[in-house]
Amino acid sequence: MGSKESYRNELRSAIRQLGDRCLYSASKWAGELLVGIDQDQPRSSAIAGKATPSSSARPHHQQEHLHRDGSSFRRSRSRPGGDSEVFSATPSGGVSYVSTPSPVEDEIDDGADYYLLAKSYFDCKEYRRAAHVLRTQTSKKSIFLRCYALYLAGEKRKEEEMIELEGPLGRSEVCNGELTHLERELSALRRSGAIDAFCLYLYGIVLRDKGCESLACSVLVESVNSYPWNWSAWSELQGLCTTLDILRSLNLKNHWMKDFFLANAYQELKMYNEALAKYEYLLGIFRFSDYIQAQIATAKYSLRDFDEAEIIFEELLRIDPYRVDSMDIYSNLLYAKESFSSLSCLAHRVFLTDKYRPESCCIIANYYSLKGLHEKSVVYFRRALKLNRKYLSAWTLMGHEYVEMKNTPAAIDAYRRAVDINPRDYRAWYGLGQTYEMMNMPFYALYYFRRSAFLQPTDARLWIAMGQCYESVPLQMLEEAIKCYARAANCNDREGIALHQLAKLHSILGRSEQAAFYYKKDLERMEAEDRQGPNMIEALLFLARHCKAEKRIEEAEMYCTRLLDYTGPEKETAKSLLRGLKMAQSGFPSVEFEHFGP
Amino acid sequence: MAGASKEGFSGIVNLTPHKIALCHLIQYFAPAAHSSLPIPFKSVSQHNRLGLFLFSLTRACNDFVEPSLDELITQFKAVGVGGFEYDWFVDWLIEDLTSRLSALSSPDDLYNFFEKLRGILSPAEVTNMEDEQCFLDPSSHLGVFIRCCILAFSILTFEGVCHLLSNMAAYCNSTDPMYGLPEEDAFNTDPVLQESHEYHELNRASDKYIHDFEAGSSAGESSSFHIQAGRPLYGVPDKLFLRSKWQIQGYLNEQADLLERHAGSFRFNTFEATLKHLQKMAPDMHHVKYLRYLNNLYNDDYLSALDNLHCYFDYSAGMEGIFTGSSAPPVSGIQVGRYESALLCLGIMHTRFGHSKQALEALTEAVRISQQNNDDSCLTYTLAAMCDLLSKIGICSTSGIIGSQYSLGLGTPLSTQQQLLVLLKRSLKRAESLKLTCLVAFNRLALAGFYLKHVNRPLLSFGPKASIKLRTNPTHVCKELRLSSYLLSEFGSDGLSLPNDGGTFSTAWLKNLEKLINSPTSFNGKRTNDYDTFHFTSQPNPIPGSVLQLAGASYLLRATSWELYGSAPLVRSNALIYATCFADSASSSELSLAYCKLIQHLAVFKGYKEAFIALKLAEEKFSSVSKSHIHLLKFQLLHERALHRGQLKLAQQVCDELGILASSITGVDLELKTEASIRLARTLLAANQFSQAAAVACSLFCECYKFNLHVENATILLLLAEIHKKSGNAVLGLSYALASLSFCRTFNLDLLEASTTLTIAELWLSLGRSHAKRASNLVHQTLPMILGHGGLELRARANIAFVKCHLCDPSFSVSDDAEMVLDPLRQAAEDLETLEFHEMAAEAFYLAAVVYDALGRAEEREAAAASFKNHIVALENPGSGSEDEQRNL
Repeated sequence: MGSKESYRNELRSAIRQLGDRCLYSASKWAGELLVGIDQDQPRSSAIAGKATPSSSARPHHQQEHLHRDGSSFRRSRSRPGGDSEVFSATPSGGVSYVSTPSPVEDEIDDGADYYLLAKSYFDCKEYRRAAHVLRTQTSKKSIFLRCYALYLAGEKRKEEEMIELEGPLGRSEVCNGELTHLERELSALRRSGAIDAFCLYLYGIVLRDKGCESLACSVLVESVNSYPWNWSAWSELQGLCTTLDILRSLNLKNHWMKDFFLANAYQELKMYNEALAKYEYLLGIFRFSDYIQAQIATAKYSLRDFDEAEIIFEELLRIDPYRVDSMDIYSNLLYAKESFSSLSCLAHRVFLTDKYRPESCCIIANYYSLKGLHEKSVVYFRRALKLNRKYLSAWTLMGHEYVEMKNTPAAIDAYRRAVDINPRDYRAWYGLGQTYEMMNMPFYALYYFRRSAFLQPTDARLWIAMGQCYESVPLQMLEEAIKCYARAANCNDREGIALHQLAKLHSILGRSEQAAFYYKKDLERMEAEDRQGPNMIEALLFLARHCKAEKRIEEAEMYCTRLLDYTGPEKETAKSLLRGLKMAQSGFPSVEFEHFGP
Repeated sequence: MAGASKEGFSGIVNLTPHKIALCHLIQYFAPAAHSSLPIPFKSVSQHNRLGLFLFSLTRACNDFVEPSLDELITQFKAVGVGGFEYDWFVDWLIEDLTSRLSALSSPDDLYNFFEKLRGILSPAEVTNMEDEQCFLDPSSHLGVFIRCCILAFSILTFEGVCHLLSNMAAYCNSTDPMYGLPEEDAFNTDPVLQESHEYHELNRASDKYIHDFEAGSSAGESSSFHIQAGRPLYGVPDKLFLRSKWQIQGYLNEQADLLERHAGSFRFNTFEATLKHLQKMAPDMHHVKYLRYLNNLYNDDYLSALDNLHCYFDYSAGMEGIFTGSSAPPVSGIQVGRYESALLCLGIMHTRFGHSKQALEALTEAVRISQQNNDDSCLTYTLAAMCDLLSKIGICSTSGIIGSQYSLGLGTPLSTQQQLLVLLKRSLKRAESLKLTCLVAFNRLALAGFYLKHVNRPLLSFGPKASIKLRTNPTHVCKELRLSSYLLSEFGSDGLSLPNDGGTFSTAWLKNLEKLINSPTSFNGKRTNDYDTFHFTSQPNPIPGSVLQLAGASYLLRATSWELYGSAPLVRSNALIYATCFADSASSSELSLAYCKLIQHLAVFKGYKEAFIALKLAEEKFSSVSKSHIHLLKFQLLHERALHRGQLKLAQQVCDELGILASSITGVDLELKTEASIRLARTLLAANQFSQAAAVACSLFCECYKFNLHVENATILLLLAEIHKKSGNAVLGLSYALASLSFCRTFNLDLLEASTTLTIAELWLSLGRSHAKRASNLVHQTLPMILGHGGLELRARANIAFVKCHLCDPSFSVSDDAEMVLDPLRQAAEDLETLEFHEMAAEAFYLAAVVYDALGRAEEREAAAASFKNHIVALENPGSGSEDEQRNL
């Protein structure tokens, strides 16, 4: 219990300190987390009246309702057996968190008045003025705010210039004009040892913008190690961890904020199960954190666990109706589930909340796309991209829209931009491949499928796409196709295309033994999933013939009998096959002649 | 200046300080009608030079960033006086220019400037001009430039004006030597930054950029980084301004051309850094990615080449028209994309890397897609690329490689050769109807090459079989070669021009200016190639380099065909024409081939000493080209000489080296492979290991037969005959020699035929005296050909055979006509001594000694015998070659 209180205290002071330094988004994040901590004091009775009838049925979970009404998904989150205190006391694996002392506040002097003025200017977005006021101040806080204000002023100017300088050869990379100056000052500070965690954070961003990523990484690590509550620093660090190796090489102090960082990094590196485990653990402490819930839902969506993800998202929206963060993922989910009305409601809601958020535009675009209004969808994707040029998924989704509109060059351009923003985005590579395949260029498409399969080797769909290219009429490279389908079959191919194609290709190549093996496997799979269809008939027919040729009469009879359940020409074939089998069994010599040779 | 093309300014120019400086200069050149004081030019030629300079500056494609004010002033000084003498007028002009530029300090100044600029354009209605007044024709090149600048300024937003002003300040300050220096220092001495890996990278990249300039001369004219001399890439980026779009495009095209021609001599990293820089400055200039692809391709970086190729076509959708010559106009706003050119490029890339299977797949798909999209020109180019591939690689049968022959429109299954012919003819026809002049010439050359080496069989395998003469037809070859040269005259008459040729003259002009500035004294004395080095007064060359390259290729092919047909003088003259007239536009590899032919000629006719001197010169010239013909030639010469001298160990060593060269990882070069095997067999023969030599030759024959290399087969059969001759099995040798003879006749290999006939004569001789008459007839038959075209060795052999025939002839008496045999023998001995061919020289001297003995001329007999002994001793103690040769290996 005490430790929860200590979390709370840590966060409370962090919010103050971050807010003081105008690091508002980090402060917002900490604030959300603060109210997300499970309230274990039974102070809840005062608000208990708000509990819905559904919760009253479970009185032993009363304390949960302090914050919001209990619902099914909350309960599913709570761990069986253990309560959250166990985890909060000692983290898993027996490692104990390092307690980090909060920075000592600067004493109040006459400089503090200037600081207050500067902060007010800053809050009014008059960054240069704020920096100017602090030009003679030497306290660490003032230095940070001055540098930060300068940085933001530079960023603002950069954005403006980017529009102004758009030449005929495209937008050239304008860089923040303050970077060189800031870098010089901050590196001097760091050398002299008079730098605090906040300035380190700023230094890290500056270095990243200048392209010195490894140095930026180490500076940010220094920053989070000395002041772990700055979530902005963590997320900048996460952005630099593009591979697992970089992540593992970081020398981070063991603080509970590190768990949030790791979970987020795992998620971005597509290690969803690891991320989920971390979040589940963190949920033990921060039981009511929206952030964690949203991240869990995102991970579940990525794991194609749509139903659970949808429940979480719905709940999030109910609690926080004006939320826009992560709602684009929710819209993707609704799109995948084809829930027209829910998607339209979501679009309406975010539109009213803030229509000029890239996420809002993306949600609206998704709705239009689902409705088949691809031109309108593209308009909104374009708007989203105007608001955030590096919005990866919007590029990819816009590519899909252009594909639907049969505007292949535009689709390829959109996918290519996604790939250039993040070369590890296998969906965009896959999209590129599909587009070229659509244009009847399977050989050219192979390159893209290869790239995407390289990034996501466990995704059966990618291998199947590659196999289809090899198998296509112009290429006819069946051996290569077989190899691809075999990979797909090993990757838990949900649609079962791979097994069927494998069987078919082997039978085309005259390898009836292998073909029979795969037909049998395909049959087993269809039986297990309780599916019917032409594939089933094809498999049965082949197996019946194969067994007959192999003189496994009983097996052949079994397959033939099963074929009799179906209507169509196959039934007749099965009948005649059966007749032949019967005769073979009864040993008429004529039959022997008839089936001379296999 | 009137009548200059206007295509350059189709897009609105981006106003930069450099352009404003140019506007100022144009004002001096053509002052406004009501200007207060006239500009006191010293002479008319000075005025004209300024005009030419301005013209060049607005068109040149020698770089993608604009020169700084400093550079502009340096160039202007050189132009203004036509040298570097002191001229108060030029100095005054520069002073005035700088002061005027720095006077532009407020937005209003800029507005006023552009207002005044309108005055220098002559009003349309003015017809009678005063003599001193120099009006600028609004439709002239400079007039269009001024109008574009005025237009660009008038549509500039206020923000744009502000940016222009701050840029102006930076531009003017760049003449101040102190500018930027302290910043630079702080940058480099910062210890924290020194730790950082990335900064090292950046610094290194910029260092390289500078180094390249310093070492620029070694890459010959391919170095075009003069302008950036000493200017770091990073650090003060806001001082660099991009040129206009078409100038950059011209720059890129020029670089692409250089890359393709001088593959291997380009510095990969330097150029990559340049390209990356350009890509950063102009992200929508997708052509840069194509250049990066080329750079990777010619530096054998497969993966990066593949990535850049795909990236380029993803962005450009093949609409930039690398192959069609001009970018296709968008059809009513709908973009369709021309991805077939991507496939064509992919096919070419795989061809270069030696992945013939993938190349064929890609090209087949390209054919399919271009047919589907009605892209005829791409189809034609694809067919040509396919022909190129089929003729280069050794594919014995395309079945199973080209997915289905039906996709190419070849109904019945055909042999590779027949397919190649069909494709070539189809491609030629299309190219002719589409008026793709260059491609027509290319196809004609390919056809000539085909006719040279392949018997033209009828395509139909059924129907009435007319009796056909299975011979190659040299007139076909000749015709195609002649027709391909029409290319040049067509360019002369039609005035056909390639896109982006506009800047070449200006670029070359400015480059020469650079050379003048960098080494003012040596400029006039030392010109490497007068051909394209035009001075201030010279005329531009109207024919684009690529056309010249093709035209030159026909001479190279002529040389090759005469080599096969057996006329040494014609080989030499054609190679000479190529090396002297087309050297500037030739690629390094083609030029080195011409040099090889010349050196080979030297070796055969003048002996090894001279050949090796020439080879050394050639090696220096082509030192940077990897895997060149020169390399192969060196081995050939070394091997040949080692065999003649009897240095078998050395010969074996060279053979091994050749084998390594032939087992290249980037695709198999069949010709090289054959060459290596033939040389191995000859080495074995020289070592008297007859059965091994025969085995090597036999297996080689089988392989060549499989891949339809019939011309090579004639040589191999002759070699087999030689093996059997030397092993004493003359009867077997005769059959091989006769087979070789029939091959020679089929392919019109006259010199080889003469050589084979000589071998037959020798074989008959070795069968006994009774066949001397027959042998004598044969030798007489060959003599005209051999004495006219044969090399030293062949001539000596013929002479010796001639003598032997006479000596065997019972009706011939030495004492009657001694000179009849002595003269040929002396001739042969002389030739063989030049070649250091000990074995045969010994034979010649032996025969001479015998003859002298019969004549009773004892003194001369002793001399001949002594020479005979010398050669025998030299043959038996060959040594292992001098140190020099060892080092050569």
